[in-house]
Amino acid sequence: MNNLPEDCIAKILSSTTPRDVCRSSAVSRCFKSAADSDHVWNHFLPCEFPEGFRAPEGLPTKKHLFFSLVHCPLLLHDSLLSFSLERSTGNKCYMMAPRDLNITWGHDQRYWQWISLPDSRFKELAALKMVWWLEITGKINITLLSDDTLYAAYLVFKWNLDPYGFRQPVEASLFLAGTEHDLVQPSMVSLMQNPGSEQGQRAELRSDGWYEVELGQFFKRRGDMGEIEMSLKETKRPFEKKGLIVHGIEIRPVLP
Amino acid sequence: MMKSYIWLETSDGSIQQVEQEVAMFCPMICHQVLQKGAGSSKNNAISLPQKVSPAMLSLIFDYCRFHQVPGRSNKERKVYDEKFMRMDTKRLCELTSAADSLQLKPLVDLTSRALARIIEGKTPEEIREIFHLPDDLTEEEKLEPLKNTMDDPRIRLLNRLYAKKRKELKERAKLKSIEVEEHVDERSVDDLLSFINGRDHKVVNTSKSKKKNKKKKEHKNGRINGTCEVSNKDSHNLHSKHRSADETSSSLGSVSNLLSMEDDIFSPKTEFEEDGYIDDEIDPALKEMLDREVEDFARRLNSSWVLSVGQERQPVHFSLNGNGATRRLTGSAARQK
Repeated sequence: MNNLPEDCIAKILSSTTPRDVCRSSAVSRCFKSAADSDHVWNHFLPCEFPEGFRAPEGLPTKKHLFFSLVHCPLLLHDSLLSFSLERSTGNKCYMMAPRDLNITWGHDQRYWQWISLPDSRFKELAALKMVWWLEITGKINITLLSDDTLYAAYLVFKWNLDPYGFRQPVEASLFLAGTEHDLVQPSMVSLMQNPGSEQGQRAELRSDGWYEVELGQFFKRRGDMGEIEMSLKETKRPFEKKGLIVHGIEIRPVLP
Repeated sequence: MMKSYIWLETSDGSIQQVEQEVAMFCPMICHQVLQKGAGSSKNNAISLPQKVSPAMLSLIFDYCRFHQVPGRSNKERKVYDEKFMRMDTKRLCELTSAADSLQLKPLVDLTSRALARIIEGKTPEEIREIFHLPDDLTEEEKLEPLKNTMDDPRIRLLNRLYAKKRKELKERAKLKSIEVEEHVDERSVDDLLSFINGRDHKVVNTSKSKKKNKKKKEHKNGRINGTCEVSNKDSHNLHSKHRSADETSSSLGSVSNLLSMEDDIFSPKTEFEEDGYIDDEIDPALKEMLDREVEDFARRLNSSWVLSVGQERQPVHFSLNGNGATRRLTGSAARQK
C-alpha cells in the first residue's frame, strides 16, 4: 500500500463512506494526505446543488464544506427551505418552513398564529390556536433530492402549554402529486406517545428538542420527476384540536 | 494467419512477447506502439514502468485477454471480475499500482472497489495492520482539530475533551521519561477514536461508569433543551455564548445535548477549533465542574456508545397519564427558550 500513489488511495477512499475517510486520516501520513484531499470530499458532495445554493464563505477545503453543510443547514428560497447533507452518505436533506406549507385556515388569526421561537430554523412558525379542520400539506420537487435514495418525510412539531385533541391518531399521507385521490392510502400516525396503541408511526423526540412523526417514505430514482405531496390531516372527528406548533416538514434519507 | 505480438520488458529486465490484441488493451502500451512504433521486436521492446512485475503483468494480461473479446455479455464479465478479485490484500495493492501505471482504468476501478470494501468499517489500527502501513503520524496530528468558524457549545466541550486527552498524552510522555508509570486513561488514541467513530470493540465498563450512566440517563430524559442546530448562526452563537457563560444549568444541559449527539462525532478532525483553545469566559468554579463533566463524558462514551450504535435517536416514552403526561412534556418544553 505504501507504493500506491496518492491519487490511487484517494480513488479507493472515494468508494468508502465519509466516516471511513475520517478514520483513514488517522492511519498514516500518506493516508491522511489522501483522506483530506478535495478529490475525495468532492465525491461525497452532491453533484447538483439546489437552485440558489451558494457555498458559505471562508471554507478552505471541500471537507470543510461537507461538514459545514452537515451541521449548519443553509436557508434557500427566501429562507423557506433549509438544505443540508446527511453525514454518512452526503445525501441531500431539506426542511420546508411552515410558510411554505399549505395550512388550511392558516391565514385566519382565529385559528392559527404565526410566532417566532429562538430555537427554530425559520423566522415564522405556525402555532395552532384552535381548529376543527386540521390539514397541513407540503409539496417538494423530487428533482431536488439525491438519486437512488430512500427518503422519508417527517412533520416536525412541538406542543404549547395546553394541547388538546391529539390523543387519537391522525391521517398522514405521502404520494406523487397527480395521483388519483382514490389510490392514495393514508396511514394513521400518533402525534402523542401512547404506549398502548399498536397502530402506525409514533412521534419521537429529536435531538434538537422538537418532535417528529413520519408521514411516509418514497424512493427517488435517477430521472424521477414531479412533486411529492405530504400531508397530515384530521378532519373527521367532531371536536377541536389545539396547541400544536409546527416547525416544518423535513425530508431526509432513511438510514439502514 | 500470423498472429502479431508485442515485445515488452518488465522491471526485472526479462523480455516477453504478448498477443497484440491483448497488449493493446492497455492504453499505455497502445500509446507506445502507435505513437513511437515500439514493441515490434525483441530489441525494440517496450520498457514497462517499474511497478509492473512479471507476476502482475501476467495477471493483467489474463484480465485483458478475457475482456478484449467483444462477444462477452455483461453478466459474464461481472462473474469473471468477481472471481478475478479473489486474491490477498497485498496482491490487490500491487495489482492496483501496476494497472494504474499502465493506465488500465477499468481494472484500477475494480481493484479500488475491492480495496475500499476491505477498508470500510475498520479502525485506523486495523487498516495499518492489514496494509502494513507505518504509524507515522504524531498523536497530535491524529487529534488535530480542523480549523473552522463554527462556534458551538457542543464543539467546545468536545474540544476540551480532546485538549485533556492531548494534555494526558504529553504528561504520559514526560512521565515515561522519568520511568514512572502513572495510571492515566489507558485507552490509546486509536481506541478513543474508534469509540467515537462507532466501533464497538473493546468495551471498558466499570461499575462506577455504569452508575453514572444511569444517573445521566435520567438527567438527560428530564431535561430536554433547545436545539443547537440552527442555520441562523450569528444569533445562535451569541445566544449560546451567553448560555454557557452565565447559566450553570444550561451548561449541564448542553452536556446532555452533547451526550445525545454522540452519533454526530465522526472524528476529532471534524470542526474543532484550533489547538489549545481555552474558554476564557467561563469562571473557575464553572470550569472545574465542566472539567468533571467532560471526564464523565469520556467514560460515558465507552459504555453508552455501545448501546446507541446503529440508532439515530432513542424514542422517549412518557407514562400515559392523561393530560398530565403531556403537561409534563410541555412544561419542560416551555422551559426551553
